[in-house]
Amino acid sequence: MLKRQLTEFVKKEMLIMLRDKQTILLLFLMPLALIFFMTLALKGVYTDKILERQISLVIENESKSPKANLLENKIQSHKLIKRVDLPQGMDKDRIFEYGRAEALVIIPKGFDEGAKPVEIYFDPVLDTGYKIAFRSLMTSLTVEVVMGIDNLDTVVAGLVVEKTKQNRDIPSPLQQTVPAYAIFAMFFIAIPMSISFLKEKNDGTLQRLFTYAVSANSVALGKIIPYYIINIVQFLLMLFVGVFIAPYIVGSAFQTGNHFWYLVPVTLIVAAATTGFGVLVAALAKTPEQSSTLAATGAILMGVLGGIMVPYFVMPLVMKKLAMISPMYWAHQAYLDVFLRDADFSIILPKLAVLSLFALACFFIAGRRIKWM
Amino acid sequence: MKALDISGITFSYNSPVDKSAEVVEHALHNFSMSVDKGKIHALLGPNGAGKTTLMKIITGVLRGYSGDVVILGNKMPDNRALLSIGCAPQTISLYMTLTARENLRFFGSMANLSDEQIAKRSDEVLAQTGLTDHAKKLVATYSGGMQRRLNLAVALLHSPTLLLLDEPTVGVDPQSRHHIYETLISLNAAGMTILLSTHMMGEAARLCSNVTLADRGEIVFDGSMSAIDNLEKFFLEKTGRGLRDA
Repeated sequence: MLKRQLTEFVKKEMLIMLRDKQTILLLFLMPLALIFFMTLALKGVYTDKILERQISLVIENESKSPKANLLENKIQSHKLIKRVDLPQGMDKDRIFEYGRAEALVIIPKGFDEGAKPVEIYFDPVLDTGYKIAFRSLMTSLTVEVVMGIDNLDTVVAGLVVEKTKQNRDIPSPLQQTVPAYAIFAMFFIAIPMSISFLKEKNDGTLQRLFTYAVSANSVALGKIIPYYIINIVQFLLMLFVGVFIAPYIVGSAFQTGNHFWYLVPVTLIVAAATTGFGVLVAALAKTPEQSSTLAATGAILMGVLGGIMVPYFVMPLVMKKLAMISPMYWAHQAYLDVFLRDADFSIILPKLAVLSLFALACFFIAGRRIKWM
Repeated sequence: MKALDISGITFSYNSPVDKSAEVVEHALHNFSMSVDKGKIHALLGPNGAGKTTLMKIITGVLRGYSGDVVILGNKMPDNRALLSIGCAPQTISLYMTLTARENLRFFGSMANLSDEQIAKRSDEVLAQTGLTDHAKKLVATYSGGMQRRLNLAVALLHSPTLLLLDEPTVGVDPQSRHHIYETLISLNAAGMTILLSTHMMGEAARLCSNVTLADRGEIVFDGSMSAIDNLEKFFLEKTGRGLRDA
């Protein structure tokens, strides 16, 4: 009896959900669009600062000595550099205002004698990563010229070498955005879930259900199970797009890791946390309007804090500590453990424990607060 | 055996910090009435009389009352009693983005009907309420009268013995109202007991053989409709002419 009732609840909720274009847009199209656009937008953050983009540079060689000319040649021939000329009559102090260049290098008179250092000026809005990469390049090239070394990189290669796990060299922005926006969308389930509950409560259909021999637990499960299933479908869809479609469009690969099956417990527990959040919103809100505001605000705040919208690794220390209060942080880190870090399950387990506690707390509070009538 | 026997029901929506009797405002107070099998019984009263509260108590939606509700010999709360009731609430309690047939299927399975029973009974109640040609349309596209008739069809689906109707003709056109009256008369002729809560005196006088008149949670009249000449005049004499906005 219970099984049949639950099956009908699931069918009913699915039909209602699938006929609501706004819900489909919110739960499936919004995260897909975010995956594509945010992957493209975050490319600069993840890109190799030496190889994947050139810096437009003005070189002012005031010395014209042989060493200064050699340095000028080395700079302008480097693949990181795209040399641009300062237009006639333009004050070099104003080139950044007009967007003519991103950096300016002045090789001063007296450079040969070591009396004056090479000067570097940056466009204030240039990414810090590029500034560091360019500063490092200038140091290497200047040392080569001053010390008479042909290629400093070759010398350094004998002293320092970067080693990474196979296929784990540079994580692409897709690695951030696919799990991030899958989780984000999964938490957005709270909007249709709570609205559906409150609508049924207000229009009398929920009350009508209780005129049959249906228990409150059946009704609650009948509301939770369909959204739990939708959550899992959301994740599978995002993963499918991340693995098979997005790489062809955004031009970066998606790695699934060596412990692919860890995704099963991770996704089941993340879905429990997201549906728990939905139940909590439904229990706290009094009207559908209140519930959509509460759910959207909650999901966005959790996303901002939890390293969904801004990658966790670029956050300052204070924000990194604050991130831990967001369940989205734990969910995202659990997915990154599987996809990128190839972590053992014992490493993922504490994150799943935090998410399970969050889900239990939501269900517990909702259970005490919910008013069926 | 009575179809419905209510004795000494007292219920309050208040949950005051001070539990003293002075603070509690009763929605129903020591309320007793019964409905004979095979009759159409009117439950009348102005706003705030406690009619909807009583309907919710009978259908098991409201708990926490004192007194007894016995349906066809089964004391509530009882699953057999619940399944012998069909209830059409005052608000249109249907899923607007499902079709009539999908609504019937869902509520039929809540009433433990088999797939075959749901299919057969759906055809019957759709025909009874004149909705056969609209069975596959979304309820949101229905007129008010059609929605009201489907609201009734859902209540009839599991062939209840006792039908509870709360304002079944509110907001419907004369044609739909007439169709609903004809349906109720034929259901009653087939043996169904009906408790009809309404504000429409003409409707009650036309359909019902017995009447319970309530005001402020208490019964002010309980007897045969034939004893009343002019129901509206009688109603106003018993309940007063003052407005009931609260």
